[in-house]
Amino acid sequence: MAFEYELPDVGEGVAEGEIVAWHVSVGDHVDEDEVLAEIETDKAVVDLPSPVAGTIQELHAEEGDVVPVRSVVVTIDVDGGTDDAEGTADASGEPEAGSGGETATEAAGSEEPSVADGRVFAPPNVRRLARELGVEITAVDGSGPSGRITEADVRAAAEGDDEGTTERSDGEETTGRERTSSGDGQRKSAVKRRSDTERRSATGRRTNGESASADAADRERTLAVPATRKVAREHEVDIDEVPTEKERDGEAFVEPEDIERYVEARESAEVGASVESAEASAEGRPAETTAESEVTAESTAAGTGDRPVSTEPYRGIRRTIGTQMQTSSQTIPHATHHDTATVDDLVEARAELKPRAEDRGISLTYMPFVLKALVAGLKEYPIMNTELDEEAEEILYKEYYNVGIAVATDAGLMVPVVENVDQKGLLDLASEVNELAEKARNREIAPAEMRGGTFTVTNFGAIGGEYATPIINHPETGILGLGAIEQRPVAENGEVVARETLPLSLSIDHRVIDGAEAAQFTNTVIEYLENPTLLLLE
Amino acid sequence: MVVGDVTTGTDVLVIGGGPGGYVAAIRAGQLDLDVTLVEMDSYGGTCLNYGCIPSKAFISATDVAHEADSAERMGVYADPAVDMQGMVSWKDRLVTRLTKGVESLCERAGATLIEGRAEFAGENSARIVQEGEGQGAESIEFEHAVVATGSRPIQIPNFEFDGEYVLSSRDALALENVPEEMVVVGGGYIGMELATVFQKLGCDVTIVEQLEECLPAYGEEVTEVVRERAESLGVDFEFGHAAADWAEHEDGITVHTDAEDGEDGAFDCEKCLVAVGRRPVTDTLNLDAAGVETVDGRIDTDDRARTNKEHIFAVGDVAGEPMLAHKAFREGEVAAEVIAGEPAALDYQAIPAAVFTDPEIGSVGMTEAEAEQAGFDPAVGKMPLRASGRALTLNDRDGFVKVVADAETEFLLGAQIVAPEASELIAELGLAIELGATLEDVAATIHVHPTLSEAVHEAAKGARGESVHY
Repeated sequence: MAFEYELPDVGEGVAEGEIVAWHVSVGDHVDEDEVLAEIETDKAVVDLPSPVAGTIQELHAEEGDVVPVRSVVVTIDVDGGTDDAEGTADASGEPEAGSGGETATEAAGSEEPSVADGRVFAPPNVRRLARELGVEITAVDGSGPSGRITEADVRAAAEGDDEGTTERSDGEETTGRERTSSGDGQRKSAVKRRSDTERRSATGRRTNGESASADAADRERTLAVPATRKVAREHEVDIDEVPTEKERDGEAFVEPEDIERYVEARESAEVGASVESAEASAEGRPAETTAESEVTAESTAAGTGDRPVSTEPYRGIRRTIGTQMQTSSQTIPHATHHDTATVDDLVEARAELKPRAEDRGISLTYMPFVLKALVAGLKEYPIMNTELDEEAEEILYKEYYNVGIAVATDAGLMVPVVENVDQKGLLDLASEVNELAEKARNREIAPAEMRGGTFTVTNFGAIGGEYATPIINHPETGILGLGAIEQRPVAENGEVVARETLPLSLSIDHRVIDGAEAAQFTNTVIEYLENPTLLLLE
Repeated sequence: MVVGDVTTGTDVLVIGGGPGGYVAAIRAGQLDLDVTLVEMDSYGGTCLNYGCIPSKAFISATDVAHEADSAERMGVYADPAVDMQGMVSWKDRLVTRLTKGVESLCERAGATLIEGRAEFAGENSARIVQEGEGQGAESIEFEHAVVATGSRPIQIPNFEFDGEYVLSSRDALALENVPEEMVVVGGGYIGMELATVFQKLGCDVTIVEQLEECLPAYGEEVTEVVRERAESLGVDFEFGHAAADWAEHEDGITVHTDAEDGEDGAFDCEKCLVAVGRRPVTDTLNLDAAGVETVDGRIDTDDRARTNKEHIFAVGDVAGEPMLAHKAFREGEVAAEVIAGEPAALDYQAIPAAVFTDPEIGSVGMTEAEAEQAGFDPAVGKMPLRASGRALTLNDRDGFVKVVADAETEFLLGAQIVAPEASELIAELGLAIELGATLEDVAATIHVHPTLSEAVHEAAKGARGESVHY
């Protein structure tokens, strides 16, 4: 029986998810709860477990596709079921399939629409593409109407084919089994490829400079179709230099994507080198900032005419962040209020409490103090803890205090939410913040843990800097940016003295909040930060 | 190399200027290859000079006369006179025009044209032999060769073509007078087409066919319509008779046949047309010198049109059945593209075919029986022409459109059409099959009313159980 698995609502209110990686391919057998795919929603990656045990009949989406919730993502032929597909397989002149056992029959059944007596249900341009990419079109499953094979199907098959081809002929007895084994081969290579992709997409181009793929291969002979050779010429690349693990007839085989990967790796290696030297000259800069500066360097290179450029897909978390930023910046008139808190007492209090927290296994940062001070301000100025409902033309005052904390991760910005900050003690907050940040960095955070915020804090000061213009996490109406706590010159009673200061940058939704309220709110927050004993009252 | 030979070099040597060869030459020229095309007779090959085009010219001209003569039912009375010589010279003019056209297309594509017969001298060389063999000849060194020597009519024992009594199809299309009686040996598509032409011109035609039916490749359902029409025109069928011998007498000849049932036949006639099929031409080429092998008289090729020698290609009739010009066109293109390093292949899903009988037959892909044999559960839709408004207005309502699809997926597998202009109607279904279209795709496509193509539409709907007009 074919089970059509719809993308479930993987998180509270999530409308769509992006297939980051398939863990299975057509023909694979899966157990119940075995992970089928990684789905990226809004800002988290979740595993999609199989609700049934059976054989994968069809994947309805490709990696990178954004799929709406409740649309079919995979068809699974459930174990022990019988259905029409099997009957058709038997009728389609493949008697060997029956002797190959259940799996073989199922494999044959799943391919049936495209293969019967040499008929291929694909238009001529797709068949040509299959030849170009070295894909055996009769083994491709179609995703078009009634299972017609599309260009995308062939491209997907070409990518999954890398090592499948060599394993395909590994002495299997029956047609049915051969197909099954080729399916396995594809899965293996797909998994491998996915991890490649994962590495690339997770770390962006930043690590490509170090990755081995920039090293030139040095072959005497390389197999490639003419179209691929043309790509190599266009990139002015010697095709014998392009690293590849693929083989055809025992010879290295190169495809256009190998060339592009190589070119990209080579370029970012060059860019990476120049950034490193720039860093070496700028002394004492924290190592964490290299990521940012490298990106800047690359985008500069990208902007200069026909100089070498490379691209990175704009999708997944990057695109989610982008869309969110765009919405915020286009709907909210931002105003940013800057001020500085002098926090010697806070530094002292934290230094005092830190060892005690460590005794309990908790690393105490300044963040819990900031959260408490912030909530004190929010309570005094409820207008700061609001949301503008444009449709209803209402300002929604929230009587709960859930503070989002922007966390920089390898994949981009994430904002886990600490709930009910007002009801929690410093140490509770400390451990919760640490835990959420850790989860976000490991991309283990659940969508629910990033929802329901009423106000956001962004701690760019952890990396460095004083003031910024934070973008509000729409539909909230305020965001507080924290600079680095450092000793800075402060004028006191006619003298300049060195004091621990915390620069604050508060962005507000100017439709809802006036500048005066922003300043008053900031004053309150500063008051609490400068006199941590006040926090005892909270 | 013979003393006195002149050697030239070329990327692609194309041997034969028929549909396979001239298309290969033009395509190779378009792909910036240096091409030399060698033709020993006339550009355009059998198709243009002695086959498709001349026979269609005759069929059209005869139909004009025949229809004018038999339109009383439509209220039209006429008694057309046919000037056979006029018809032949009209046909000759248009053939000349087309062959010149082919020649200039080849030249424009940059091909070097050489007249003569090419034969291989080695794996990468050939000699061009002119009239007066044994003299100095041109030698050509080639990187690739495309063999497109075509086919010639099969001769049966005791019936050598003499152009006077025993005619090949080529001879029949050059007759300057309509014979009184004609025996046509062979009820295949050439025999049926020409029998219809001559019968309509007033000749009394008898078809002698060894098998029990005409056009056996098309199946009873299709051929029945055509045979009945031919019979109603006055064609006599002698099934189960094999032509054995012939003898000349005062008023013409007598063709003797061996019959399966022992009742041997003797048919008096003025001319005897032998049309029992065609055989690939491989004996003019000295294939051995290049090491190219033949299988059952044809050159065996792979899906890239390559022979056992990877740099030598064979296209068209010389590469075997089906011997159709449009198959040769495609093979010629693919050979040229493969030589140019493109990922081309002969991956067509179906080769459509047409027979220009009355009514015409158009066919593509699988019949219902073939689909069953291939393991499909066929869904079939059949629209008879008597339910077509357009067919009635054409005063021509015998025939049908039948489509065959896979019941589960609705993918079209094949179609058979017996109708006026079936040769044109089949194109739509050929495209549908090649694109992997389904019954629904055809059924949901709006077709012009009133046309015969609506019958295709209706048949597709019929296969889905959604017939409206039938």
